[in-house]
Amino acid sequence: MLELRHINKAYAADRQVLLDLSYTLQAGDYVAVMGDSGVGKSTLLNLIAGLDTPDSGEVLIDGVAISSLDDNAATKLRRQHFGFVFQAFHVLPHLTLSQNIALPLLLNDAPLERVEQMLAEVGLAGRGHHFPRQLSGGELQRVAIARALIHQPKLVLADEPTGNLDPETAHDVLKLMRKEIKANGSSGLIVTHSHAAAATADYILNLTKDGLQPVVQEGHN
Amino acid sequence: MQMKTASLSRWLIFGEWRAHIVQWLAVTLAIALGVALGFSIHLINTAALNEFSAASKSLSGQSDLQVHSNQPFFDELLFPKLVRHQGVELANPVLEFDVVVPEKLDSRNDHKLKVMGIDMFRATAISPDLLGVTESGEQLDRLADDAIFLSPAAMEWLQVEQGDALQLNVGVQTITLRVAGGLVRARAGQRLAVMDIGVAQWRFGYLGLLSRIELKLSPGVNLESFKADLDKALGEQFFVTEAADQETRVANMSRAYRVNLNMLALVALFTGAFLVFSTQALSIFRRRHQFALLRVLGMTRRQLLRQVMQEGAVLGVIGSLLGLALGYAVAAMAVHFLGGDLGSSFFPGIQPSIYLSPLAATIFFVIGVGVTLLGSIVPAWEAAQAKPAAALKSGGEEMAIRKLSFPWFAMACLTLALIFTQLPAVSELPIFGYLAIVLLLVGGIALMPRFSAWFFSFLLRAKGSVDSGAVSTLVLARLANAPHQASIALGGVLASFSLMVAMAIMVTSFRVSVDDWLGQVLPADLYVRAATSGHQGGFQLNEQKAVADLAGFTRADFFRSQQLILDPERPEITLIARPIDTSDPSTTIPMTDDLMASELWPRGVMPIWVSEAMVDLYGYRVGKLVTLPIGDKTHEFFVAGVWRDYGRQFGAVQMQLSDYQVLTEDMSSNTVALWLRDGVTASQAERMLRQLSFGSVLEISHSGDIRTLSLQIFDRSFMVTYLLEIVAVIIGLLGVATSFSAQTLARIKEFGMLRHIGVMRRQILVMLAAEGGLLTTLGMMLGFMLGWAISLILIFIVNPQSFHWTMQLHLPWGSLFVIAAVMLVSAATTALIAGRHAVSGGVVRAVREDW
Amino acid sequence: MRRTKQNQSICLFSLIGMIFLVSSLLSSIAFAETTKFKTVVPEYELSFPQDYGAHDGYRIEWWYITGWLETEEEKTLGFQVTFFRYATGHNEENPSRFAARHLIIAHLALSDPAVGKLIHEERTAREGFELAYAKHGNTDVKVEDWTLVREEDGRYQVDMQGEDFGLRLSLTPTQMMFLQDKNGFSRKGPKPEQASYYYSEPHLNVSGTVVRHNQSILVNGRAWLDHEWSSEYLDPNADGWDWVGANLDDGSSLMAFQIRGKDGGKRWAYAALRDASGKIKIFEPEQVDFTPIRTWQSPHTDAVYPVVMRIRTDEVTWLLEPMFDDQELDSQQSTGAVYWEGAVTLSKDGQPAGRGYLELTGYVRPLEM
Repeated sequence: MLELRHINKAYAADRQVLLDLSYTLQAGDYVAVMGDSGVGKSTLLNLIAGLDTPDSGEVLIDGVAISSLDDNAATKLRRQHFGFVFQAFHVLPHLTLSQNIALPLLLNDAPLERVEQMLAEVGLAGRGHHFPRQLSGGELQRVAIARALIHQPKLVLADEPTGNLDPETAHDVLKLMRKEIKANGSSGLIVTHSHAAAATADYILNLTKDGLQPVVQEGHN
Repeated sequence: MQMKTASLSRWLIFGEWRAHIVQWLAVTLAIALGVALGFSIHLINTAALNEFSAASKSLSGQSDLQVHSNQPFFDELLFPKLVRHQGVELANPVLEFDVVVPEKLDSRNDHKLKVMGIDMFRATAISPDLLGVTESGEQLDRLADDAIFLSPAAMEWLQVEQGDALQLNVGVQTITLRVAGGLVRARAGQRLAVMDIGVAQWRFGYLGLLSRIELKLSPGVNLESFKADLDKALGEQFFVTEAADQETRVANMSRAYRVNLNMLALVALFTGAFLVFSTQALSIFRRRHQFALLRVLGMTRRQLLRQVMQEGAVLGVIGSLLGLALGYAVAAMAVHFLGGDLGSSFFPGIQPSIYLSPLAATIFFVIGVGVTLLGSIVPAWEAAQAKPAAALKSGGEEMAIRKLSFPWFAMACLTLALIFTQLPAVSELPIFGYLAIVLLLVGGIALMPRFSAWFFSFLLRAKGSVDSGAVSTLVLARLANAPHQASIALGGVLASFSLMVAMAIMVTSFRVSVDDWLGQVLPADLYVRAATSGHQGGFQLNEQKAVADLAGFTRADFFRSQQLILDPERPEITLIARPIDTSDPSTTIPMTDDLMASELWPRGVMPIWVSEAMVDLYGYRVGKLVTLPIGDKTHEFFVAGVWRDYGRQFGAVQMQLSDYQVLTEDMSSNTVALWLRDGVTASQAERMLRQLSFGSVLEISHSGDIRTLSLQIFDRSFMVTYLLEIVAVIIGLLGVATSFSAQTLARIKEFGMLRHIGVMRRQILVMLAAEGGLLTTLGMMLGFMLGWAISLILIFIVNPQSFHWTMQLHLPWGSLFVIAAVMLVSAATTALIAGRHAVSGGVVRAVREDW
Repeated sequence: MRRTKQNQSICLFSLIGMIFLVSSLLSSIAFAETTKFKTVVPEYELSFPQDYGAHDGYRIEWWYITGWLETEEEKTLGFQVTFFRYATGHNEENPSRFAARHLIIAHLALSDPAVGKLIHEERTAREGFELAYAKHGNTDVKVEDWTLVREEDGRYQVDMQGEDFGLRLSLTPTQMMFLQDKNGFSRKGPKPEQASYYYSEPHLNVSGTVVRHNQSILVNGRAWLDHEWSSEYLDPNADGWDWVGANLDDGSSLMAFQIRGKDGGKRWAYAALRDASGKIKIFEPEQVDFTPIRTWQSPHTDAVYPVVMRIRTDEVTWLLEPMFDDQELDSQQSTGAVYWEGAVTLSKDGQPAGRGYLELTGYVRPLEM
């Protein structure tokens, strides 16, 4: 479903971030990517989302090279097939919860019927008319998860989704995210520093200078 | 320790400015523009006024007291009496009048030369500047019976040199004088001629008459008591005034005009202050985390407050200094190109030069800095009061900014404004009128967030049923649910648009009224004037008969007009005697509704019709009995009606010509209005007039030309208000630019997220333009209402109170729509340009927290 | 103080300016205008009291009084009082009361050795409104508050109060009037029309008060009055003149003048000596010589004046010595004229002979008029 082919990315001559990276993600997989700071995790996410272009190599989504698309086509691809969960939630303060969640549907010109159901699934049933300022951090991230999955994307990209949350809330959110990704038949790629977070994925990859290396799982629950 | 704090605050200030240089430049520019505008208007006005009073002072000299009559001229036999009067050291007789220069008759409003007749032996002590200088040094040539001395400006204007002949009109005669020399100490630009008093009396028909007598008192004489005694001794025909009174009088002539300009400039400065406020507010909200962090790290509230205020102060200082320099340059240029009266003809015949007074510069500097600090204090206070822990959390901006909106305050402002409109003028200035305007603006701007929340929620709900379009949802939701952040951009638009609307409505109403009025006051086809001959009008009975007997006219109305002084501290009023249809005076005079039917007139008292200014300035009311000095005595009249006069803001009175002739036995007239017979063209009629024996000296005007010219003068005098409007609009657009770019920066993460989830660049731009456009539309809607309200204040309060005339309301829909469209497009464009960051590559990275 | 500044910017006439004015008028613009004025002719017979009064038909006229005064404290002062009437030649037909046909100008100067220089003031006004006039029929001249009046009994009353000082004097004739030259027809140059009508009243007995520093001082003394009128006075080539009028101790009266040419030489001269009994001896131009003995350079104007002068009238020589040197009348700040007008003592053969006034004009160049 997602295939990385010989990706190279440098921000400056002496700052090579990704070197000849290749990897293939199967549909329905939910993987966690770990790695040291500055090793290129976020760059990898941006490349996958088409928000950045590799110096060489290709990112293929269902065989389509996203890096070959222009901005508009890439954006359209993203709005249909991608969901995003951010560390800082990025829930728009001036939209209600329903409106926030409905955003991808509006962008895709899709019917809004799933919004209430999604709200209920992330445990915020009946609170669609609330504004984000009435919510806690964990709740905001639930809204973000709902927004990421409302349009049943092929791939959910999550960048340190629990970085701003306490461990207990983080645990709930991660569980919810895994459940929703699986329930919607999406694939997932979560970038994190947290072993606890990574542990909720199907398997863990370690991003190093030498590429993505599978990590032997120490335990799975 | 102090040093460290200082360098910290410097780092913070420079860091902030480096990051947002454009915004801060715009704010600095706005302050500079506001200060420049106020300062330049002040400079121009002061220069013009100073020059005008210096010019009139150089004419009136260094006397202790002046004796005037309530008419322009009085019997010279008062002069020897005053010379012998106890306590008078020197009495200087002066004859002052205007003469018509035949060669300049074409320029209708600029064909008169001021002539002063002086006694050189007496004038040396009081007004030495008026002594003519002969080339040969032959002093006695000053007494020659054909000698006239001209100021350099007059020589240039008349294109004559020493030794040349100069022709001047006296009544229907032309006389020739010799330019005997110059008045080297006349002020630059001052057009003036000086002659020997005896020669002037003789050649210009003022035998036995003087205009004023200037007195120097003996040492040790108490000025006050002497003045009071002399005033009493001379009786009611004469006024004894001091030089200071003269200055007051000169200042009074243009005071309303000057104050009005200054007020407009202050309103522009106020718009600038609002811009400072919005920029500071936005900058502070953007930096909430930074400030919260500083608080956490140990900066006290007071230090933080000082930090923010310092930013404002530095901006204020730079902007104000820039403004002073700019203002000086603008003033110098305006005086050079438009003249000291900015084209309004309030200060004729002078050429002022700008004088940079340190005091004035300091005052405007302080105003500029003060206004900036005022704009900073509320945001600074908010920043200092914010709880650091709460501020560190994201998403609270709208809550924080909400604190800055005070609907109760807005309502209080509007209510107060309403009350102020009901208050009378303060020392003849519409102070409360202007306060009401400022309060309306403040109140309107403060009410803006409420209004926009209400308006856009309504739109959002209306659209909700359609449920389509992410962009429109995003736009409307933001405008409806974050009204404070949105509308902070709007203050400038609102302020400048309402000012423009107000000025446009006022100027249009005024212009239409003046146009109508001109139609009413110029019913005849031709107006023919003759130069005055001494204190008599130029047409004596013979000439009147000759004109009336001409075949080309169906009707000839003769007018006799002259100046009267009713109050020595006020400029002269004009007395116009003409045939008036008593049964319906509105056929000859542009009457207001305030008039008394002729059946109700008291018997045995002559009627007069007074201009609106007479009502305001002298308390004349319809039906009231008043006394006026007509002829040699004062007579009683009753006020039969009030008419509208846009030509003479200091007051005018009309009376029946026959009444005037009975009282004065003065059968002469200055002007004749002529109605053409059918089939006679104006040029044929003019030819007939020119063929009269005295035809060549007549000043013949077509009513159409007078009308055109009057409207041209009108337009020219409002030129400066257009300039003010443009500056206000620029400030308003700067406001849009700064607040949009500030908000774009503040919302960078929002755009980053939107780009992630699939919003296209173009959509973000559309969103920004739509936000800008919608906000501007709303701002203009509110601005229109505010502007309309302000124009009502200008038309029905400010104008009557300062200029003593009323007018009817006329709305210039066409130009208002054009202005609105221009504003809308420029605001949306500005928003777009300011928001171009929002689609830059960096945006997508902004979603990350760990950078 | 204020009053003296009154004329600040009129660089106008004064004695010399006035007379030179006439000459310049003659030579230039006024050429045509001279026809307007009456010519001085030898046939005219002066008649009194009419000729005490003003003669409007002539261009210029003056009443000029100089004399020596003594205070009660026996301090000596000199004084000079002059009233001019000057016809402007303008406004002949002007009916205005302000029409400037005649100007009245007055000078007042006081010589006090204790001050060491002249103190002086002046007034100028157009005739009119009874504020300034020179009347017909008798001497009666006024400008502002300064007056000179001849009373019926022949006594002159002078009242001139200035800013800083003033005079109120009564002058009583002790001798007959003194008609100069040919019965009052006084030639001033080689051409017969260069002449004036000229009579003097020498040996006037003076009493009255001098006001200084707001204090009145009683004075008495002896004075000399000249009344002269003319339309054409100076030769165009003349440069200035030296004049003396002196009341001699023996009751006789000496008047002498010379008109200097541009070459510095004598262009015309005249002297007359009348003894106490009234016998007059008139000297022809060649019998009269003015010889400078000592000069004094003015620190004010740099002009060099022959303040000590020897005058020869035929075989008699008179030595004139000033009361003090600095009796220059410098009105450059006001009317612009500068001349030396000083009290002098006369001696003959080393013996004091009398006291009078010496006038030295035309020593400053260029002349300010």
